[in-house]
Amino acid sequence: MRTRFLIVDDSDLVRRSLRMVLQANPDWEICGEAADGVSAVEMFKELRPNIVILDFQMPGINGIETARRMAEIAPAIPVVLFTQHASADLERHALEVGIRSVVSKTNAFPMVGMIEALLESGDSNTTSDHSDSKNPD
Amino acid sequence: MAEHQKVNILMVDDQPGKLVTYEAILNELDENLIQARSGKEALDHLLKTNVAVVLMDVSMPELDGFELADMIRQHPRFQNTAIIFISAVHLTDIDRLKAYQRGAVDYIAVPIVPELLRAKVRVFADLHRKTYQLEMLNRDLRTLSARLITTQDEERRRIARDLHDSVGPLLAALSMNNGLVHQQAEKLGPQAVEALRQNSELIEQLSKQTRTISHLLHPPLLDEIGLLPAIRMFAEGFGERSNVKVTVELSPEIGRLPPTMEISIFRIVQECLTNVYRHSESKTALIRISPTRDKSLTVQVSDEGKGIPLDSRVSTLVGNSHGVGLSGMRERVRELGGTLDIQSNGNGTTVTASLPVGNMAVVSA
Repeated sequence: MRTRFLIVDDSDLVRRSLRMVLQANPDWEICGEAADGVSAVEMFKELRPNIVILDFQMPGINGIETARRMAEIAPAIPVVLFTQHASADLERHALEVGIRSVVSKTNAFPMVGMIEALLESGDSNTTSDHSDSKNPD
Repeated sequence: MAEHQKVNILMVDDQPGKLVTYEAILNELDENLIQARSGKEALDHLLKTNVAVVLMDVSMPELDGFELADMIRQHPRFQNTAIIFISAVHLTDIDRLKAYQRGAVDYIAVPIVPELLRAKVRVFADLHRKTYQLEMLNRDLRTLSARLITTQDEERRRIARDLHDSVGPLLAALSMNNGLVHQQAEKLGPQAVEALRQNSELIEQLSKQTRTISHLLHPPLLDEIGLLPAIRMFAEGFGERSNVKVTVELSPEIGRLPPTMEISIFRIVQECLTNVYRHSESKTALIRISPTRDKSLTVQVSDEGKGIPLDSRVSTLVGNSHGVGLSGMRERVRELGGTLDIQSNGNGTTVTASLPVGNMAVVSA
């Protein structure tokens, strides 16, 4: 069975690139796309994806709040925060609401490997080893 | 400003005839002349109107001039009210001294020289008018300055947001595209692989620089998850860029504050650290934010540098960056109803802002 992704980002360009990166793997498919947190939660409820790739800074509710609402619905579905603002503090807040990993948008290269590891480990609560996460400005 | 705004002149005497005389003398000043026949009546007028000059007899039944002056001076509202005593008796130096100690600006003996009395009253009426105009201008200036700070904050937030929304996605897409090509690197020649590797580095540099600019303009975490993470993130980045070792001590019980307060506290800390880097030559800095028992918040930034020269601390309008930075901080603190204290000597500087927060500050973090 293919792994179904829900991708959430307010930028059309980022969603398109994500789609391209994720669909390079024939076992992965995009089951839904949302451009803001509230509609993402609705889609999450309806589609029950296997994994969510979630932007942090979006109009309306931010990624942390979106993930918190998703965790109330189905905490077992892993959520990856995909952001320009990766930092130790953001990661701490992210982990508190059940986000499995924080990935820097501009160093997205390790993301695919991290997602593979996350899917293989099933329900494990791991954080990625993305090199940018502790990198402030 | 040039127009003659009439001020009130209160004349107090228990003898109606004298009041008529004063009125005749002062009429040509074109001010509002108010008569009172007793100390009590004078007080009634004072409570109702803003009075520039009080002209009063020393000897009156019940409440005499000295007692009345005492009562007037006790009230902060009458700080700018000039009191002129007129007396036919009580003319010793001790009496005069007694009058000046009660805040009188002059003591005139009877018989009165009309031109002299008129000239004296005119001076104080003009002074009162100018003081009032200055106060109004000062108030306008403060309003303007507060608006300027708010506008600057909003503008910075907007530019940071624009940068995030426009350049950010482009960089992210570039990075992901590059990653895709990287996955098929075996199909490329060695030069292309090297160019690809360099591209990745360039994207990384570009994104880091964009992020630094955007974060200095307006920290994204401030709006999204609050002041403390934003300060920690800024301090980390600042430490890396400046080689100043920054220690951060933030009371975890401080929760979300009103947005204007969060941005102001952030800017104060940011300004202090900039000063540490530019002027202090200190290798360390300490940021401490903690609530106090009296429902205020203490924001403190200290360093172990060479201190701020006194003229930079005192004058807020000198043309150096210290002066401008400090005056900006003062304005922010004043807007929030707090106080700013700067202690500085050859061993370092400590800037402390105390901000009233009521019950807001301590909620779940």
